[in-house]
This record gives sequence, C-alpha cells and structure tokens, in this order.
Amino acid sequence: MKGNVLLVGGRSKAKSLAQSLLKKGYRVTVINKDLLDCEKLAENEKLTVIHGDGTKPYVLEDAGAGNMEIVIALTPRDEDNLVICELCKKKFRVPKTLSLLSDPQKTDFFYKMGVDSVVCAISAVTSIIEQQAFMEEMAKAIPIGEGRVQLLEVPITETDPAAQKQVWEIALPKEVIIGCILRRDQTLIPRGDTRILAGDILVLIAGNEQEEIAILELKGGEAKWRK
Amino acid sequence: MSILKNKKQADYTIIVGCGRLGANLANTLSEEGENVLILDKEKEAFRKLSPSFGGLTVEGDGTDLDVLKKADISRANAVIAVTNNDNTNILIAQLAKEWYSVGRVISRLYDPERECVYRELGIDTICPAVLSANEIDKLLEKPARTKEAV
Repeated sequence: MKGNVLLVGGRSKAKSLAQSLLKKGYRVTVINKDLLDCEKLAENEKLTVIHGDGTKPYVLEDAGAGNMEIVIALTPRDEDNLVICELCKKKFRVPKTLSLLSDPQKTDFFYKMGVDSVVCAISAVTSIIEQQAFMEEMAKAIPIGEGRVQLLEVPITETDPAAQKQVWEIALPKEVIIGCILRRDQTLIPRGDTRILAGDILVLIAGNEQEEIAILELKGGEAKWRK
Repeated sequence: MSILKNKKQADYTIIVGCGRLGANLANTLSEEGENVLILDKEKEAFRKLSPSFGGLTVEGDGTDLDVLKKADISRANAVIAVTNNDNTNILIAQLAKEWYSVGRVISRLYDPERECVYRELGIDTICPAVLSANEIDKLLEKPARTKEAV
C-alpha cells in the first residue's frame, strides 16, 4: 500500500488524476466545493470525497491533511491554490505540495512561497504547441526543474555520425547521458557497448544547456537544431 | 505618477480593493494629505470614493503582476489588501511583502483560522470578526461594572 494523496478542487482533472493514482495503489482523498462535482467523484467507490472549501483549515483537517504525503491543489484560482499549499505546508506539515498555476508570471513567486512543485498548465501547453508547430522532427525537448534539465527525444538516421557506433565511442558532454534507446517497439537501457542503429530514438537527459552540443555530436553538421 | 518619480521610495500607500473599507480608508488617508493609489477590478467601485478624493485610481486585477507594476508597487511604502476574498488578500499581501519588498503590509482576513499563513511573514492582519467580538465583549462587561459600582 502506497501513501495518502489529497486532491483539492478541479473537476475532470481531479477525476482522471484520482483514477490513475488509485490504480497505482495510492489512497486518494478529494475535496471539492461543488456538491454536484462531489457526487460525480463519489461514483468511484474507492475514493474518499469531502464536500467543502479546501482553503479552510478545518476542511483540510477533516480530510486528514496531517497524514497526507502529497497534496495537489487543482482549483482554477491561483490564490486558492497558494493558500491550500501554504496551509498544508505550515499547519499540517505535508512533505510535498503541488500547485496548478494559471498565470505563468507567478511561477517563481509560488516556489519562493514554499510550494514544492508548480505546474503551469498554460505554459506547458503553449510550449508543446510551439514545439509541434515550429520544430521539425530533429528533436523534442521537455524542460524539467525550471528548465535546468532537458529531456530530449533524438531520432537517429542512417547518415548521422552516431549511427552504427557504440555508446562509449560517442564524445557526449559530461552533463549529458543517453537514458534510454527506443528501437521499434523495444525499450533498451544502454550500456557502453550498446550499438546505436539507424531508426533508433535516443532519450537524452541534458543539464547545463549542453543539449545542443550533444545533438551536434550525435547528428553532426551545423547547428540545424535550435531551441 | 510624475509626482512620485523623484524619490526613490515614494511616500505612498496602495490600497487593493475599493469596497466599503477600502474606499473609506482611501478617503481618510487622502484627507490627511497622504498619497494614495487605489486599485479595483471594477471601475464602478470607484464611485464609493468621495468627490474630494485626491489620489490615483487604477482599474485592474490586484493579483496581476503587470497591474501591480503599473501601480509602481515596488516604490510604495505600504500596501493594504482589503478585497472581499481572503485568499486574494493573502496572495496580494505575500506578493507585496516577499516579491516587491514593501515595508508595511496590512491585510484584512475574514477567517481568523488562516492567520498562521501570515504570522511568519510579518504581515499585519485585521480580522473583523475578532475585533467585533472584542468590542461586544467590552460592551457586555460595562453594565456589569456599573452595577458593581452602584
């Protein structure tokens, strides 16, 4: 049995997140202000549903916030999410708080106020759209840790310098590792002697903005790839 | 805002929320000759200000960083958050204190239970329910005392 998770607010987000967490074996509690939403959520028997305003300390107490390992604030209002996370952190000593944020400008402020993880749906969606629309299939990048680390998906073609090479032969920067190789429907965790083939998709983890150098090393040529 | 531009830390107060309390406070401060800027989401709210109000009004969402910048928040010496929503007041007060390093931050809080969020941050809170309860308590004590005196 895994730990307790509390979701506050959010209609469809709370529902699908709750389902996936329950499937993974977490005990999930949901707080929602709207009675109709509560009834919808309560259709799932394994879910504990509490009707109330999650920004009120006594509602959080009823939900057992003190025993939660993770609290996730999903309301549409930034101020409510901030208060939920701060109450959980300061009053109930919850180890990990996560907040949804609609205004991307406040990301750093939320981190400064002690929220452990801030997910800004708008900037995530816009960056995905931007990537899909403007970047060719050279590489897909997902920023993690406020962009300090990039997760990259790099397809290898026949003409690339990395094709037919063993992993140890490729001079990647120190801050970059090949985390995984996707070969047709297989997933390989590479070792030094793993040979990279044309058609493989490499999953790179790159820190310190070394991703461009790594891609030049793998795919050669001038900097065709731009962030 | 040209009058404020010469001084590094302008001597002025920003009030967020032009409700009864906000408007009243703005009128009083303005009468006392203070520089006041009052912010509200709705233009209509400014009708509560007295005709002699000599401060600035800004229409906009007080939780929006762009609006706060427009109100020159980093140069204000006091921010008072008195919107009708506790959580909005908490957010504004914390932005003022922690993000823009405003010296004096005061906020109204309807629900006294949320105060623990503020306490560590040096934000002063006014809680109408607690104040009213204290006043009523005082009033209740008074006749009792006079009786004793008699």
